[in-house]
Amino acid sequence: MNFIDVNSVVKQYDGHMALDHVDLHVPQGCIYGLLGPNGAGKTSLIRIINRITRADSGTVMINGRPLEDKDITNIGYLPEERGLYKKIKVSDEIVYLARLKGMPKQLAVAEMEKWLKRFDLTEWRNRKVEELSKGMQQKVQFITTVIHRPQLLIFDEPFSGFDPVNAEQLKHEIMQLRNEGSTILFSTHNMASVEEICEKITLINHSRVVLEGNVADIKQQHKKNLFVVNVEGDKSIEPNDNLFEVVPSDKHQGTLIKLRPGVTLHDTIAWLNENYILTGINEQLPSMNEIFIETVSNK
Amino acid sequence: MNKLKLIIQHEYMTIVGKKSFIIMTLLIPFLILLVGCIPVLMAYINSSADTTVTRIAVIDESGKYGGAFKDSPNYRFVIMQGDKATNAHEFYKNAGESIDAVMVIPASVLEDQQATIYSENTIDQGTISMLTGCLNDTLARAKIASFNDPDLESKIEQSQVSAQIKSIKWDEKGDEQEQSAQFASILGMILSFLTYTFVLSYGAMIMNSVVEEKTNRIVEVIVSSCRPMELMMGKIIGVGLVGLTQFAIWVVLLGIGYVVLGLVAGGAMAVSSPEAITAGMNMPGGTDMASGAIGDVMTALAGINWLSLLGNFVIYFIGGYLLYASLFAGFGSAVDQASDSSQFTMPIILIMIVALYAGIACIENPSGPMAVWCSIIPFTSPIVMMVRLPFDVPWWQLLLSIVLLYATALGCIWISARIYRTGILLYGKKRSFKEVLKWIK
Repeated sequence: MNFIDVNSVVKQYDGHMALDHVDLHVPQGCIYGLLGPNGAGKTSLIRIINRITRADSGTVMINGRPLEDKDITNIGYLPEERGLYKKIKVSDEIVYLARLKGMPKQLAVAEMEKWLKRFDLTEWRNRKVEELSKGMQQKVQFITTVIHRPQLLIFDEPFSGFDPVNAEQLKHEIMQLRNEGSTILFSTHNMASVEEICEKITLINHSRVVLEGNVADIKQQHKKNLFVVNVEGDKSIEPNDNLFEVVPSDKHQGTLIKLRPGVTLHDTIAWLNENYILTGINEQLPSMNEIFIETVSNK
Repeated sequence: MNKLKLIIQHEYMTIVGKKSFIIMTLLIPFLILLVGCIPVLMAYINSSADTTVTRIAVIDESGKYGGAFKDSPNYRFVIMQGDKATNAHEFYKNAGESIDAVMVIPASVLEDQQATIYSENTIDQGTISMLTGCLNDTLARAKIASFNDPDLESKIEQSQVSAQIKSIKWDEKGDEQEQSAQFASILGMILSFLTYTFVLSYGAMIMNSVVEEKTNRIVEVIVSSCRPMELMMGKIIGVGLVGLTQFAIWVVLLGIGYVVLGLVAGGAMAVSSPEAITAGMNMPGGTDMASGAIGDVMTALAGINWLSLLGNFVIYFIGGYLLYASLFAGFGSAVDQASDSSQFTMPIILIMIVALYAGIACIENPSGPMAVWCSIIPFTSPIVMMVRLPFDVPWWQLLLSIVLLYATALGCIWISARIYRTGILLYGKKRSFKEVLKWIK
């Protein structure tokens, strides 16, 4: 079942079409990637799901019913442009934002203590936010996003500003939240992280959905019949006019071949076995990065 | 509703908890008291601390009026008979350190009304007026005596007049109430200045807070938890409550200060001799006049309907604050940096300045057409009506003005909320006034 269903949403600003009949279906408990170049309309869509702005037309459903104002307590949002009150204490900031999301004060304080401990920030709780390093502020912002245990989490570029160690910790926390039942909508340009953690994606370009589906399926759809072949003695493989061509590449251990149209893998392996001593053959699927660039530049 | 309460609480605590707020709140009444005390304090220091003695030699060529000058704690006189041949300068030289000045009273002093004082030092104005006073008194008595009428002096005494016009107001029952127009004007002016300063400074505070949230980018997080309208109203109400708190603290502090000061001043009066204070203030009969003025103020205070005055003040204060604060919040949301805000604040501040000037102009005639119109038009009424309140305002004018003020305030809140919800999410280029007005649609 889908947790979020965005159906044919349209949003215009001053004659500029920000979202043009956009659909988005996020299954319950999924880590869902919302991709697209800058200015494609991702933030506009996120703001509509957040009820910060309203769609001109189209519907947004949550758990099968129309989204209402009260549902925002069930959403956690980490915007790309991070923002906190700089002049107040870390603990006051977290408790205030948690209470705005409808948490009772005592519960907010108790949850805050847990999260501060988890991120090694306990000793900073009485400091002003402006005294914290940028990385620590990012962690505080993350805590304010998830403290009320929302069923839907929206992360806009969550890893920007984190060093590799902290980014890994954050990734771990996101997976953990998913395992605990949260649905996660994840907007990013970082395709490596998409491949690593997203199950499904929607790619928006020029205000429209241009690609949508399972990451694995999309990769299959975009595969180019490329294989890395390894043979004994590290011999180089000559191209075959009927079966395959050799693609120059220095990224792989072995030879990268591209099957000619209509040729089966079975025939190719048979031929290779006759002429070489085959030690391995692996299909080379395109990276999300390549698919992204290809899809966006084709339009 | 709960969120609104939470936002109000947060806005309130954020400002009230600031060191700068606490310091300013405590410091300002102290400064006001200090400024108020300076003239009294100076007069007191002048009279009590001045132990210098000026020695004046009086060369009396008339032979009659030297007796006009009597020794006092600060002055010593040496009276000498002299004539035209006496050289004042030579005398001064010979006397050396023992005298500070030489005064010459010529024989023709009664006719010419002219005497001269010589010194190598500058003679201060206080000394000259004291000497003039003594000489005038004596010469006046001499003139009276020259008419050879023994009753003249008492006749003149009796013909001294000091007429006053008492202002009496009838209430509905026809009972008399004494009132002081001057006091009422001053009171009105204070109230209108108070409204002006508070609305302006707290309006600016709201604007800064809106811009800061926008620059901080926290606003996007907040409006994903509550409605922009709740955030804006929470801010306006929270900051308004801070204003009322500050006002209440000041009233209490000034009250305490007034009582304490009264006790201290009373003590000081009792200790130093009345003549010294009179001399120090350089105002013959000063204490009588002062006590008379205090009596007038007391009567005037009693003649004012404080309950209705303060009630109306609060009503107008809140209405005016809501009206202007919402405009500050709305237009504040249209800019990215506080420094860009002047194009939007300028018109708002100009309207307020016009209102203040209208208020000042209405003091002369608080029931004139300008006063009436400006106290009904919503943008000027919170300030101008303050000037009129201590005088009686017809109930229909009051009612009309309050209804218009609150209706306009609600309108401004509605308009500002629409600007605000768009403005807070837009960054980048500077917006023009026209563009911002489009967001209202």
